[in-house]
Amino acid sequence: MELEFRRRDYGATHKSQFLPRSQTQKHPLSSTLASRDQQAKTVRGRDLHFFDPLRGLDVNASAEENVEDTCISIEAVTQDLIKEWKSLKRILMQRFPVSKVISFSPISNIITKGSKAVESPSALSHPEETGSEQTSLEEPAKIISQHEYIAKVHELRDGINSAWQAEDRVTSLKLSIKVTKLLMDTTVLRFYPTVFVIVTDMLDMLGDMVWERIKQKAELDIDGTVICALPNDFQSSDICLEARETCYNWFCKVGSVRELLPRIYLELAILPCWRFLINQPMEVLDRLVMMVRGLADPLTSLYCRLYMVHRMQKFGFCSSGYLIKCIKDIEDVLAPVLVDKEGYSYITDDKKLLFSLVEPAIEYIMKCLFLTGRQENNVLGILEELGFGRNKFQSSYNSSHVSILLHYLLKELPSELVSSLAMEILDMIRCSNDCSFSQVLNYRLLGNRLSEGKSQEGFLSSLIDEVIQAASQYQSLYDYLRIMDAYVDLMLQNKMENHLDALLDDIVSLARDKFLSEEEQASLQSIILKLLSHFENLQEVLPLNHFIEILDLMSGTSKSSVNMHLLNMGTRNGCICDSTTVQLLFEVSQALYDATDFVNIKDDDNRQTSHLISRFVEMVDYGAEMERHLLFLAECREAFNGIHELKETLVRSSNTLAVKALKAGKKHINFVKSCLAFSEVTIPSISSPTKHLNLYLETAEVALLGGLISHSDELVMSAVEYLENVVLTDGLKSIDIDSMASVICKLCSLLVMIPGNPEKGVMEILKSIFSATRSSSWATLRVKVKIFCAIMSLLSTLSQDNLPYHSANPEIIGNELLFFGDSSYKQELVSCTQLVLSELLDAIEQESSQISRGNMALEACNCISSALVMNEKVKELCLRLLETAKGCLGANDRYIESTKKSLQLRYTE
Amino acid sequence: MVLVLALGDLHVPHRAADLPPKFKSMLVPGKIQHIICTGNLCIKEIHDYLKTICPDLHIVRGEFDEDARYPENKTLTIGQFKLGLCHGHQVIPWGDLDSLAMLQRQLGVDILVTGHTHQFTAYKHEGGVVINPGSATGAYSSINQDVNPSFVLMDIDGFRAVVYVYELIDGEVKVDKIEFKKPPTTSSGP
Amino acid sequence: MATATTVNVKLSRSNRIYRSSEPVEGKIVIKSATSISHQAIRLSVNGSVNLQVRGGSAGVIESFYGVIKPIQIVKKTIEVKSSGKIPPGTTEIPFSLNLREPGEGIVEKFYETFHGTNINIQYLLTADIPRGYLHKPLSATMEFIIESGRVDLPERPIPPEIVIFYITQDTQRHPLLPDIKTGGFRVTGKLATQCSLQDPLSGELTVEASSVPITSIDIHLLRVESIIVGERIVTETSLIQSTQIADGDVCRNMTLPIYVLLPRLLMCPSVFAGPFSVEFKVCITISFKSKLAKAQPKSDPTAPRLWMALERLPLELVRTKRDQFSC
Repeated sequence: MELEFRRRDYGATHKSQFLPRSQTQKHPLSSTLASRDQQAKTVRGRDLHFFDPLRGLDVNASAEENVEDTCISIEAVTQDLIKEWKSLKRILMQRFPVSKVISFSPISNIITKGSKAVESPSALSHPEETGSEQTSLEEPAKIISQHEYIAKVHELRDGINSAWQAEDRVTSLKLSIKVTKLLMDTTVLRFYPTVFVIVTDMLDMLGDMVWERIKQKAELDIDGTVICALPNDFQSSDICLEARETCYNWFCKVGSVRELLPRIYLELAILPCWRFLINQPMEVLDRLVMMVRGLADPLTSLYCRLYMVHRMQKFGFCSSGYLIKCIKDIEDVLAPVLVDKEGYSYITDDKKLLFSLVEPAIEYIMKCLFLTGRQENNVLGILEELGFGRNKFQSSYNSSHVSILLHYLLKELPSELVSSLAMEILDMIRCSNDCSFSQVLNYRLLGNRLSEGKSQEGFLSSLIDEVIQAASQYQSLYDYLRIMDAYVDLMLQNKMENHLDALLDDIVSLARDKFLSEEEQASLQSIILKLLSHFENLQEVLPLNHFIEILDLMSGTSKSSVNMHLLNMGTRNGCICDSTTVQLLFEVSQALYDATDFVNIKDDDNRQTSHLISRFVEMVDYGAEMERHLLFLAECREAFNGIHELKETLVRSSNTLAVKALKAGKKHINFVKSCLAFSEVTIPSISSPTKHLNLYLETAEVALLGGLISHSDELVMSAVEYLENVVLTDGLKSIDIDSMASVICKLCSLLVMIPGNPEKGVMEILKSIFSATRSSSWATLRVKVKIFCAIMSLLSTLSQDNLPYHSANPEIIGNELLFFGDSSYKQELVSCTQLVLSELLDAIEQESSQISRGNMALEACNCISSALVMNEKVKELCLRLLETAKGCLGANDRYIESTKKSLQLRYTE
Repeated sequence: MVLVLALGDLHVPHRAADLPPKFKSMLVPGKIQHIICTGNLCIKEIHDYLKTICPDLHIVRGEFDEDARYPENKTLTIGQFKLGLCHGHQVIPWGDLDSLAMLQRQLGVDILVTGHTHQFTAYKHEGGVVINPGSATGAYSSINQDVNPSFVLMDIDGFRAVVYVYELIDGEVKVDKIEFKKPPTTSSGP
Repeated sequence: MATATTVNVKLSRSNRIYRSSEPVEGKIVIKSATSISHQAIRLSVNGSVNLQVRGGSAGVIESFYGVIKPIQIVKKTIEVKSSGKIPPGTTEIPFSLNLREPGEGIVEKFYETFHGTNINIQYLLTADIPRGYLHKPLSATMEFIIESGRVDLPERPIPPEIVIFYITQDTQRHPLLPDIKTGGFRVTGKLATQCSLQDPLSGELTVEASSVPITSIDIHLLRVESIIVGERIVTETSLIQSTQIADGDVCRNMTLPIYVLLPRLLMCPSVFAGPFSVEFKVCITISFKSKLAKAQPKSDPTAPRLWMALERLPLELVRTKRDQFSC
């Protein structure tokens, strides 16, 4: 029995099956529309009233908030500081790595001797025992690895702990003293922070144990029964004599240590115990603050102060008074380090190391100062103590600070005060120019802190004037750029165009004809990026003073980075129509392209660059100047030859251009041809097979829209030829089979519109697809079945008297008219179908996976029943396929069910 | 009541610069529960934009999509409806109801949403409903260069669905409404 | 169970401090597995000043070695229990012993307990349990501490007696290294030289100038024990405790605190008795940076050296009234 195509009446189907639609005013998005309008209105309303008196209220409200914010509860402070302390310890351990082997002086010989250094647990009453070890300084330094050292200290700590547990408190204390003495050893500077952390951990532990023991004595009688539980806020009068005796004894023992440093540390460890003896240990704290002054070494004294502040804050003894004294003492200690005998301040490696070691300590103490100040609600008082707000001529206090302290002061200062004290801070920065911290960075910090603040005052103009002046004093362009970089945001936020102009003027005059170093480039880059991120549109940036000239100053990676931003900015707001912008971005792209090796390196940076350049090309719109646009595409093709991604963009843009020309009218047909030619020439250099094919098809579609049959024929032929040559070679490893199948299906659907070429044979293209698929190396059986079904559907469609669709161009005549009444045409369709059908059935048979085979059988069954008239032969075929499917998938499969149902419909047709 | 936005074939930026502003102003975040997109967005920025309207975004791959990770087909269940999604350039011939019905059977869905023709259509047939939201940007299609931008919003409530069709015709948004119910699953063909 | 029988004297105060006017109270604790027959339990108190002149640096002293007779302060025995039997187990026998009888005039001064190098003032309490010839007598001794208990002790704080000191190259009586001498230095400060035993030694010190870097500043507590031996007075000065207050070349014109907690038992109120005296001194030493210092083995830290400046100040220690919760 002959195969016969099922008749289709697409028009009738459309009429009978379409869902009736009715116009509606009410729909889910309608309410949105109204409310959105309202919203927009209110927003705009706010904008209008931005400067009206209501704004004053707003400011007050936020001021109130600030007040609340500045009064923070003690618990919050303590919690914060505990966290701070923990993170500080981590920083100290990590920031200063030491070489594996360290040498240390004989002070630390406890490390080598270990806990045996303390032998007899005899009464701790003789000076020899608590006093200094009789060490000869002539002994050579020992060498031990850092790891061993830390392990040894931990071992000693365990020894202290176990002695304590064994009620041998004397040994415990003796060992603690020895461990604390490790802090006297500054032979290996970089190792000091690590030693500090492990020793103070031990001291904290000892302090807790002593506290607990005395507390227990106060709460329990000799037999261990509880007499009273001490309240948290107990008075010293609540403590029994016995407990007080023990407590005082501890202070005596600690006080009998000869060396100053361990004596201070140990007293700090048991500092809270003073509460058992006196209610307000103010005098004690005053004395301790002063005692630390006896440590002349800047490093040890700073770390000792750090521990002191930590212990004070931990037990709520902290008050800004002590902290200010501490900070002033630190300044006095650092002062002699800053200047040499001749009075010059210059940095040496040793000093650099010292300052980097003390930096975390200073930062922590400053943090504590301002936290305490906020808690006491006395930040202004603190500042006054530190020399702010005083008349320069009246005050004898030298208002200049050591710059490292000034830095952290400024860093911790509440931002509202940064604004109100800005001029004074600026003066201080100007006055403190020493080697402990870069003055440039302090100028920068002021700018950055000011940028944080919300409202800016009138002082800004004169402040920035002064900053510019100060920055100009520096000999190096780098310093100038670094300082001004921090003020760019301020100028932008406050619309200080004059200052910005002046800055840009300065930059050009300073940098012109100079080779910019990498650092200078980076600073300049930062400034430019700030400008770029401030403005919405490239058009707002370009008119800036010397902008292009400044761009030209840049080179290398900085230039590329700026270029990326420019390109990103230029392409993010839709079409680029302005020709100067296009020209600028083209140059930018070219510079980026030249700076990048697209051929050899394929990394994320390159991908982003190529993406941005492609986006730029996509976004360019010459409007009515279509020829200019095409020329531009050609220029781009030449200029950015190495960017694969761009090729696709070029083809798609040129195709869109062609469609635009078509819409504009028939007169442009030659231009359309130019576009098609451009696309056709460009496509072959695209490497991805699916993209390659898709672009051929799109171009062919455009040719059809233009009524250019020969072009579309050529393009489709090219596509098919390309398809025939697609092989699963190395270069095409990543071939996406599903996409390939989809493209081929699309091609089939496209062929519905393309008139057959009687000269070359009506079915030529179709046959080529068929044979290419059959023999392809890449197509799996599943894909083959899919494509064969597609071809069968196409054959059935082509057999209809009315095709489902035609090209929009009336010049293209459909095959149904072209071959009207041509029986050989129909015959060929049928014979083709037979060919395809047998291949299709073969492919299904070959499939080894049950599930795949079942689904393939069903797909084929659906396709056959849709394409062909359900005569006996076809019916039998379909039932056989259905059986195959049942065998593979089981009878209850949903797809089988629905296929069966549709088959039944076909029988009745 | 669940609102499902169906749209596709935006072809940004090649065939259109962006969605029509009138559509954009309607599509505000917080209204829509799901977005199903028939593909050809084509760039990531559109993906990101859709995410802002509704984070539950389902996309299938059109032949020009940058993101190759989108699947060819996708199904999801909303309320009592099972929805299928496919771009449609793979359907032969394009937009043909019989061929779409085949795909619908294959996916086993009640509502099949496809695109590619850039022409809004909504058909019912024995197996369910087939909807094409058209091109949201009015991009030229394989067949036609003059396309009205359109998209579809489905209001799914149990077995009932209301399809709102938003079409931009001569600069005005025209909204049509189509109502249908899910046919009882037990019914068999005539 | 251990068969050993133990006897302990337990005092009523855990710190064992009593005044001479107060009765010394406590109990004798006897632990025994068996019952013990005894011929009365006695408790005796013995307080004495032991003087000895040990080998010092001066050759003269050696000839006096060990010839000094101790000075008796108190010696007294009371019977706590008349002869009888102590049952097995733990037996506690309370006692109360008056050091001086109410009517008794102050014949002997009850010096405060003090353990020095050459002078030892000690009070011992001994319990004796004689058990006839067949058994070894049992006994136990316990030291208790006497602090002055006169009602007319000064109130704290005692009137400050502040000494202001200046230490310069010119105040030094021993030779200094030339560069120290010519460069000059000036360290000033003040110190409370009359000091209650309950209070720390306190004061302050400021380095005003020093051309040679300082390595350390230390406060040394010295005790000066003098004994009259025949016609001569033998004096020995010994170091009790050193406390460093400056480590390294400290900042100029920065006030450093002097703060030394007085060690207990090693110090007592300054005593000037007939045959002996105990006095205290403070020695401030300033060590300057010098190669010689390193080469020199450490010995007496208060001895005059070429690289050190010294200042000795007398220190009068007094017992003040204990405050209610005195430490």
